[in-house]
Amino acid sequence: MPRVFITGLGFVTSIGNDAATVAGNLRAQRHGFELYPPFQKPDIPCKVVGTIKGFFTDSVDPEDWTWPAAYEIKRETIRSMAPHGLFAHCAFLQAIADARLGEADISNSDTGLFAASGGSPMLTYYHHDRMLKLGPARCSPLGIVASIVGTLNFNLVAAFRIQGASSGFSSACASSAHAMAYAFEEISLGRQSRMFVVGGEDGNRDAILPFAGMRTLSLQTDPDIASRPFDAARDGFVGTGGGVVVVLESEAEVARRGVAPYCELLGWGQASDGYNVAISHPDGTGSRMAMENAFASTRTRPEDVDYVNAHATSTLIGDVSEARALKSVFGEKGVRPAISSTKALTGHGLSLAGAMEVGFCALVMREGFIPGSAHISRLDPACEGLNIVSATLPGRPRVVLKNSSGFGGANVALIMKTA
Amino acid sequence: MSELSQSTSSSNKPFPLASKPFAPDDEAALREALKRCSPSTFEAAVQFRKTGNADHMPAVVIGVIERFVEPDLRAKLKDADDDLRLIEDLGIDSLTMMEIVILVEDVLQLTINNDELRNLRTVGDVKTFIDCKIRGLPLPRPTKFLPIEHIGAVMPVQPPFLFLNEASVSSTGANGKYKITGQEFFLQGHFKDNPVMPASIMLEALGQLAVLFLLEGAPAEPGKAIGANTIYFTGCEGVRAHRMCKPGDILTLSIKPKRMKMPLATFEGAIRVGQEKAVIAEDITLTFAYVESAVAPPAVNGAALPVSDSDNSANPPLRVAFNA
Repeated sequence: MPRVFITGLGFVTSIGNDAATVAGNLRAQRHGFELYPPFQKPDIPCKVVGTIKGFFTDSVDPEDWTWPAAYEIKRETIRSMAPHGLFAHCAFLQAIADARLGEADISNSDTGLFAASGGSPMLTYYHHDRMLKLGPARCSPLGIVASIVGTLNFNLVAAFRIQGASSGFSSACASSAHAMAYAFEEISLGRQSRMFVVGGEDGNRDAILPFAGMRTLSLQTDPDIASRPFDAARDGFVGTGGGVVVVLESEAEVARRGVAPYCELLGWGQASDGYNVAISHPDGTGSRMAMENAFASTRTRPEDVDYVNAHATSTLIGDVSEARALKSVFGEKGVRPAISSTKALTGHGLSLAGAMEVGFCALVMREGFIPGSAHISRLDPACEGLNIVSATLPGRPRVVLKNSSGFGGANVALIMKTA
Repeated sequence: MSELSQSTSSSNKPFPLASKPFAPDDEAALREALKRCSPSTFEAAVQFRKTGNADHMPAVVIGVIERFVEPDLRAKLKDADDDLRLIEDLGIDSLTMMEIVILVEDVLQLTINNDELRNLRTVGDVKTFIDCKIRGLPLPRPTKFLPIEHIGAVMPVQPPFLFLNEASVSSTGANGKYKITGQEFFLQGHFKDNPVMPASIMLEALGQLAVLFLLEGAPAEPGKAIGANTIYFTGCEGVRAHRMCKPGDILTLSIKPKRMKMPLATFEGAIRVGQEKAVIAEDITLTFAYVESAVAPPAVNGAALPVSDSDNSANPPLRVAFNA
């Protein structure tokens, strides 16, 4: 079975719109949060968001949007996009430059694209409301394409003329981890030789505020402490958006093109809590099974892992479920890999999180450091015994485990190794 | 959004909506809708909404089309050439066509059906379409592009005396192209060692394009069609030749009907080579007659039959050749 490698990355995130900036901010533990202007109203309880800088997308009309001048995008291309479609398009351009891919490498029957996003609530609402008020004939013909879940794959597959496998994944916050997992399968099963994995979310008022209704968002007004996974005083997650693209290639393609990969994607595992639509199993049973399945399928062991990039979003219940799962996997073996959640710096990207954080893992494996779990003043007692590192550690992690969990109790664990 | 009523047949009567006052709110909404169009487009739209005068319509339509065309292709619209093709020249796909129509609907307060959009191929088609919508007129037949096979199948004139390589025909006129190959039989003698396309033959070419218009473009009468073998040249006025045309030149021909009342049809015509005028004909008059016909217009794939059946004896060999 062909081995799978990560050969390219593209980032539009709250901590940077290029790999170098992202790496610098991860290392120096500089977060991307600010007081989000649309939330500074008295009736909105949450105030902080991990914002995207350098882009303006707070309009239902894509022709009002602005983005960094380096990216040339025609009206025809942008008219059918959601805000996160724009982020992902720019990230895609970065990723193909990073992987040194030409048109022929991108548009062929052996190259596919899997994407994940929650769609665009902002555009869904706008187009739907317009349809009900003015009638369908007065609606933009591309309203649906820009709004629904799947908008990422529709747009990117068309724009970049992808001819291989294409699909979207929807398992809430595990979505892009699932996309990564199944993209791995496409290559491992010999069906494709290259896969683009894309995650994206709008990260605007309409995408984030509904979570305040679920009472899962932090109500902190201080951007420096709001997002603090594993901290005893955490009170919910901070939302963010963006677009991330990860390029996966087969061993044969890596050799043929003569490129140096970031790392190898060894494999993955998944399992479900089967417990509650929104609350994770208190003991993190699904997460634990996912990790054990990942070890089994990659023929690695807990003692091989140097670093775990946790899912931990800074919610009261979720962080504990994962802590317990990690204890049962690693504690039983008496091993203590370094653990951190980079959501302390970026916020929770929802469907974007899996791909973004795999991107971070690949980045730090090349750069040679372990990102610390920022903003921890006092570790939650439930995490006692886990090696949750709060500061950046020098040294290249050789085997990295990435966890991702979503609504309904979906859990995915991915394992990477230096190439 | 209001339905268009078929209340007027005269082209000079103002559009019915002129009776509804154009309020400041309407002007603000119009400005917002046209905010990415040129100021002159907005001005024309305001005038149209205030007065209902359809003369402002072309400026509005061109302005809206321009707004949706990629900036580097907009220069083509400057000449406002009616034959500019939406897809090939302006890069407008069917989705962009929908965007254009939705904005036009909003600005001109019309409703347009999707079926009717499918046949719009050129800027001229769009203008004619909107114009008919505004005036409550039935829509014209769409512009047809006719390759040599189709032309050969319908024309009474044949090689070596057929001077059209390709043509496009709409209800408002026709355009064609002919490349002077240098092998034309008459060039041997005209002139000896100095082949020049005779002006009389260029006039003939315009006449042939007019014949093609009568057969393929002229508005159809129910149950009747113009007989291919009833069309003859009767006269011309104001014919001038400005340029010698030689082998290698590609003649761009165009004709427009001026008057059409059986048995006579009069056209104006022009031939250009590139940008240069070659021939102008103020009037070319042909006679024609209708024949009974229940047959549909010919298919475009070469296995076509001419519409007229009045004189079978002249055509069978050609029909056999095409049906083989």
